[in-house]
Amino acid sequence: MNLTLIIPEIFLFLWALLILFVDFFTAEEKKHRLGPLSLVGIVITVVLVVFSGQGQAFGEMFSADYYSLSFAIIFLGSAFLAICTSIDFARERIKHQGEYYALILLSTVGMMFLAASRELLSMYVSLELTTISLFVLSAYLKTDLKSSEAGLKYMILGAASSAILLYGISLLYGITGTTVLKGIQAELVGSAFPGPLLVISLVFIIAGFSFKLAAVPFHMWAPDVYEGAPTPITAYLSVASKGAGLAAMVRVFFGSLLPVTSEWIPLFMALATMTMVLGNIVAIRQSNIKRMLAYSSIAQVGYILVALSAASELATTSMILYLLVYMFANIGAFAVVIAFYNHSGTDEICEYAGLSRRSPFLAISLVIFFLSLVGIPPLAGFVGKYLLFLAAIQKGYYWLVGVAVLTSVISLFYYMNVVRQMYFRKPTKNDPVKVSWSLRLALVLSLIGVIAVGVYPDPFVSLISKAASVFVY
Amino acid sequence: MPVPLGYYLGLAAIIFTVGVIGVLVRRNAIIILMSIELMLNGANLTLVAFSVHLQELSGQVFVFLVMTVAAAEAAVGLAIIVMIFRNRESVNVDNLNIMKW
Amino acid sequence: MFDLAFYILAVLILGSALMVVTLRNIFHCALFLVLCMFSIAGIYILLEAEFIAAVQVLIYVGAVTILMIFAVMLTHQLTGKTIRQVNDQPIAALFIISSLLVLTLLALSKTTWEVASSSGVSPSATELGRALMTVYVLPFEVVSVVLLVALVGAIVISRGD
Repeated sequence: MNLTLIIPEIFLFLWALLILFVDFFTAEEKKHRLGPLSLVGIVITVVLVVFSGQGQAFGEMFSADYYSLSFAIIFLGSAFLAICTSIDFARERIKHQGEYYALILLSTVGMMFLAASRELLSMYVSLELTTISLFVLSAYLKTDLKSSEAGLKYMILGAASSAILLYGISLLYGITGTTVLKGIQAELVGSAFPGPLLVISLVFIIAGFSFKLAAVPFHMWAPDVYEGAPTPITAYLSVASKGAGLAAMVRVFFGSLLPVTSEWIPLFMALATMTMVLGNIVAIRQSNIKRMLAYSSIAQVGYILVALSAASELATTSMILYLLVYMFANIGAFAVVIAFYNHSGTDEICEYAGLSRRSPFLAISLVIFFLSLVGIPPLAGFVGKYLLFLAAIQKGYYWLVGVAVLTSVISLFYYMNVVRQMYFRKPTKNDPVKVSWSLRLALVLSLIGVIAVGVYPDPFVSLISKAASVFVY
Repeated sequence: MPVPLGYYLGLAAIIFTVGVIGVLVRRNAIIILMSIELMLNGANLTLVAFSVHLQELSGQVFVFLVMTVAAAEAAVGLAIIVMIFRNRESVNVDNLNIMKW
Repeated sequence: MFDLAFYILAVLILGSALMVVTLRNIFHCALFLVLCMFSIAGIYILLEAEFIAAVQVLIYVGAVTILMIFAVMLTHQLTGKTIRQVNDQPIAALFIISSLLVLTLLALSKTTWEVASSSGVSPSATELGRALMTVYVLPFEVVSVVLLVALVGAIVISRGD
């Protein structure tokens, strides 16, 4: 058994305990320094992940391969950016900062285990580690009713969706007699299935995962939770928890259910269409920028589902790359929202009027992130969407790509509405919006990511395509 | 096994469904949590029945871990409910004004 | 003999589960949940899964439902009131769910289960314990982290300050 492989996870776990421990001996006014301390832990973990080597430990429970490596880097990256955006916010508005940072790190540990797992049991347990930490984090603003409601709603729907997923898994276990993904695949190739029971179990599994990804029609929790949760947690939720759901979903479907693609591809196509159309159209009506970004992130899941229904090596590459690109653009956009909120205490889009004069840096960053989310070249979003659509075109899903392109055009409306407010409306106030060092760091890193992946995507694509080759299509 | 496997699975499916109905129909957050426990029990019973039928361990290990996770989930959920009650004097999900589903 | 026990337990489980979902008084719901969990433990005994039955009684009856009863008592003003307990779209929800149930039951009845290959007995507590400490040691440890998170989270959230 090769224990060195799980050193990064163990290290990050111990670092979370260290944060809790240091928190104990830190005076209240110095607790904001725990944020930079957690950033250090994440950076060391990234180094450990890159150099810890590849292989398997605990049988099928933990497999360090390029797939888990790329997801681990995305999860650690989004935790890093989320903590950067948290530091000022937490100092002003959050009690128990030590536990706050520790829980972010612990949920990241869960995600890393999740991406590395090739067995349903360990997958379920790590998924729960991730979501239970996120339940607590989204309810963290105790005196803010919206936040507690967000926590309650997320908790109820998260627990119910886990139960639905578990029921699907239990049926799949009964059909195939194993919880190891490889074993399930072997069983499905050899037998006379698909029977009706397999279809039912797939419906339950897809419904459970769709809740985690906030795909329509299982999205109803997302806007409320995103609006109510502390904004840095919203940023983290919108990228990392979706990424965790996606990592598990791709492992399960491409790692074990490829022999029965005809049973689940139509379901994914339907989900993708509904998600893209509804997410983008409802986003137009929103007046709160967090809610707008919530619907926009629902829509982004739709594009990822387009590739998921393509089920090819290119599809996996494009999904992971898209998640990376989406992480930079989305957390970047949330960083601007947080900077503005820290200054003015509001999330209403109309308050963004004249932001270009109050803070040219924030305004131009938000424009760049939005353009990347739409998919305008030469930004990273274009590369991501191009590969997603290419994967679908290779399989001949022209109409699905048509819907995706059309809804991307629709998405321009609501993004440009914010841009119009910032550039063509007179500001109601004239005081400049100050941006702290940590938010500036998050913004600059996201900008570099959005531009670098857009201008020079080759190294990213070649690394991620190695991750995609862990599955046999 | 004198009782056929299908009976256990059918019973589990019905328990699960009753739980889903509770989640969808009831408005009190504590009862919704109870209904989620029913759903989990339906899944657990399916796992144990299959595990015994297949003479295979992993199903029962799964159930053991699911129960532990369920207890953790219930603890966090009830903590959130108690906090909301303290702030708001209500645990009905409809009284939470943004709960529209 | 086994048949009779199964039917009695099944009736108990379904009856109490329905009570949990329909009764107005939350405290009664919690008590029926205890009954339901106990009866499910009985089913596990019928299946010769004694370890799981014991854990079911310990965790569900001993911990989860007691936690629920605590929460009910902490929010006790509500239990006396008669409040409308059903939300706006029960008919649509019931329709979708019951059709899914019918489909699942149909699929279950259509599937023929091959008889288990080995004729050994059901896994014993010893084997389960050994498996937890060897093959399944990683998820077992991850669950302990889940418990830590729940502990920290519940304290942080419910601490009054």
